[in-house]
Amino acid sequence: MIGRPVGQEVTSDFDLARDAASGKEAAFETLVRRYQGAVRGVCRRLTRHAAEADDVAQAAFLMAWRKIGSYRGGSFKSWICTIAYREFLQARRRKKIEVEFDENTHILAFDSSAARLPEQLDLDRALKTLPENQRICVVLCVATGMSHSEAAAATGFPLGTVKSHVNRGVAALRKQLAAESVA
Amino acid sequence: MRTDERYDDLTALFEAQDEALQNEVFVKQVMKPIRRRSRWRAPLLFGAGGIGLGAALSQIGGVWDAIKAQAPTSIDADLSLSLDALPSAQVALDTQSIWVIAAALMVLSCAVLVMTERA
Repeated sequence: MIGRPVGQEVTSDFDLARDAASGKEAAFETLVRRYQGAVRGVCRRLTRHAAEADDVAQAAFLMAWRKIGSYRGGSFKSWICTIAYREFLQARRRKKIEVEFDENTHILAFDSSAARLPEQLDLDRALKTLPENQRICVVLCVATGMSHSEAAAATGFPLGTVKSHVNRGVAALRKQLAAESVA
Repeated sequence: MRTDERYDDLTALFEAQDEALQNEVFVKQVMKPIRRRSRWRAPLLFGAGGIGLGAALSQIGGVWDAIKAQAPTSIDADLSLSLDALPSAQVALDTQSIWVIAAALMVLSCAVLVMTERA
């Protein structure tokens, strides 16, 4: 869980979601504050563009607000990240259509202006080298903590394919991170 | 829950990145359209409900008059209550009840919508 104060009683995600479902905006705001890092992180790793990622993340939270009544417990992080993944797919479809009609569209470079630890820069760089489906599976399972079956349900990939992508992706990431730390 | 814990080291790196993305401006951006929609939703629904209720109430008097006009024999006009008059009185009462129930349901539906529906 991200951003929870230590030593204080924290309202559970389930209770917050139930309150949000009855129209309490403050409860939903707490959930947004709690999971914005995870959702924005997932969107950045999927889209590889900071500005576009925040648009997708915002769309994901708005969709979550509309569908909060369908949350039935379990990991809220997995639930919201699944929504974020679907929003990413929709945004990518829209973008493909736009690019088809506007050949002058420029793809923005990934925003690396924020100060980050060298190992995090290495992680970003290593992640970018993975094939897309492998990257998606690594992001969902390793970065968001989804189980393989949750990721399979979210992506529509067979469970064995997800496991294979994650194992290969993790191995490739480790290999690259080790190589960069040696160099 | 995740069963494969072989990549905790990588997960920790990703979570460190996520922590660095905490930003109050983003939270405000997300909440702004949600609050804006909530502001007009309740007045709109209650307004529509109120109009529906008004229409329903206005019909009650009309139906009552129509039933009274159709009834061949009324109690105050003729003390001999015919068998035909009894069903007419019953229909008037039932029709009134139906309109009241319909109006109550409409108001209740609007209230439920406002209380439960989001965005």
